Amino acid sequence: MIKFQNVTKTYKGSTVALRDCSVDIDKGEFVFLVGPSGSGKTTFIRLLLREEMPDSGRIWEAGKEIGHLAKWRIPYLRRNIGCVFQDFRLLPNKSVFENVAFALEVIGRPKHVIATQVPQVLDLVGLTKKRDNLPHELSGGEQQRVAVARAFVNRPLILLADEPTGNLDPTTSLGIMKLLDRINRTGTTVIIATHDAGMVDQMRRRVIELDRGVLVRDQAHGVYGIDSATAAAGAGSPTGSMVEQAPTALSTNELPDSFAART
Amino acid sequence: MPVSAAYVSKEAATNLWRNRLMTVAAILTVAVSLALVGSSLLLKQGASKATVQWQNGVQAIVWVKPAAGATLTTSIGSELHQSPYIKSCVFRSQSYDYSEAKTILPADELDATNQADYPSSYRCVLNDPSQASQVYQQFTGKAGVASVKYPGQQIKTMQSVIRILQWVFLSVAVVLLLSASVLILNTIRMAIFARRREVSVMKLVGATNWFIRLPFMAEGLIQGLAGAAVAVLVVLALYFGIGLDTPKTAANQGSIIAQMSLGGWEVAGTCILVAVVGVVVGVVGSAFAVRRFLDV
Repeated sequence: MIKFQNVTKTYKGSTVALRDCSVDIDKGEFVFLVGPSGSGKTTFIRLLLREEMPDSGRIWEAGKEIGHLAKWRIPYLRRNIGCVFQDFRLLPNKSVFENVAFALEVIGRPKHVIATQVPQVLDLVGLTKKRDNLPHELSGGEQQRVAVARAFVNRPLILLADEPTGNLDPTTSLGIMKLLDRINRTGTTVIIATHDAGMVDQMRRRVIELDRGVLVRDQAHGVYGIDSATAAAGAGSPTGSMVEQAPTALSTNELPDSFAART
Repeated sequence: MPVSAAYVSKEAATNLWRNRLMTVAAILTVAVSLALVGSSLLLKQGASKATVQWQNGVQAIVWVKPAAGATLTTSIGSELHQSPYIKSCVFRSQSYDYSEAKTILPADELDATNQADYPSSYRCVLNDPSQASQVYQQFTGKAGVASVKYPGQQIKTMQSVIRILQWVFLSVAVVLLLSASVLILNTIRMAIFARRREVSVMKLVGATNWFIRLPFMAEGLIQGLAGAAVAVLVVLALYFGIGLDTPKTAANQGSIIAQMSLGGWEVAGTCILVAVVGVVVGVVGSAFAVRRFLDV
């Protein structure tokens, strides 16, 4: 699904953002991208969105090499990628429904598709009742759910999230993580860049750690930091994870048909 | 992906309304400059109609009798070449003169003649324009010469006044057209700024570049067209207002406006040109803004 091969990216006049980074992410994986500020997480995301181009190395995404993608093809690449940010990036003058519908309108989806897909995805994120509210009438967690709905409404192959819980309290964050986990279970590859140690430790998913642009760790069922990794190992068993405790509770059965069909 | 016209026009209209003050300023500037372009074109066309025989520096015309015959015509020509007053002469055949007459003579007068009755002519440039009367005296009454004509003071004044007016109008119009483009560019820059969030979301979810650009380009196009529409009204008002639509007749030969009379096609051509320039100004202004400020 995603393959980085010796990717290096340097910004003008500054330090190396990503150095000789090679990584493979398969279809349907759920990956945390961790590391301190300036470690290259955001660059990683921006390379996947083709907002940046690598200085050297090659990147494959959804079966295409994107390093040399013609400029006019970039929009079509992005239709396969959903994206969620720390600051939500909702349009303040549009309602919840319109915000989500906007993502389909601007890629030319017909009205009847919008009329069926938007309610489905609003149901998935649990905002059916707030469909006519404006973003400022919602809580932070709800706004991020709208952003997730917008990112997912076009059924992307990949969902990228850059610090999706950065502005949210732990309880709300957990809700967003569960939502992303649920989306992952429809077969969507989910990549989350985060600082949220507690969340990473709880979820016990693949962790890729970057430090000053270098990939320092790639662990299948990892935790946030080396410290917490040893702590967890010392405890003998991972600390309680809501998701891991009840993986079957989030099976595809409870998803709308169209989402289940993706798996 | 085709971009729907309904979407583009809806978005463009929303933008224009949001930014209406600047929009009005841009439209008015386009209108004033194009009105100047249009009216100077009308004047120029009218003036060249009235003075078609006196174009290209011709300062005297020797009309040769239709019955003169080739030998006599040639000898008049060589005599003209030897005349001390004359710098150069061009011979115009009967058919040339007849078709030229069709554009300047009133229809009722022309009906009475045909090409065979029409004189051929020598169009002459003089060494010194003030010596036209000497040429007149030298050649009037010669064998084969029907008449000698040189432009009166009225035509000369009119030509120079119109030439000056034209240059003034056109240079003011060019300056105004430039400022109109800049105003349009600025309105669109403001529209892009007002919608930067939407644009960034559109880019994120994979809207094509043209999908993002077209509403802004359409906005510039609409401003240019609206300005051109106002200018066309001004041109038409001028055309009908000062009576340029009155056809030339034997009765109104004395009136200079009637001499400048223009047909519907010439006015339509002027209006189309005005509209095209309006479109170009709008599209160029918005294309610049989109290239420069819309990072897609």
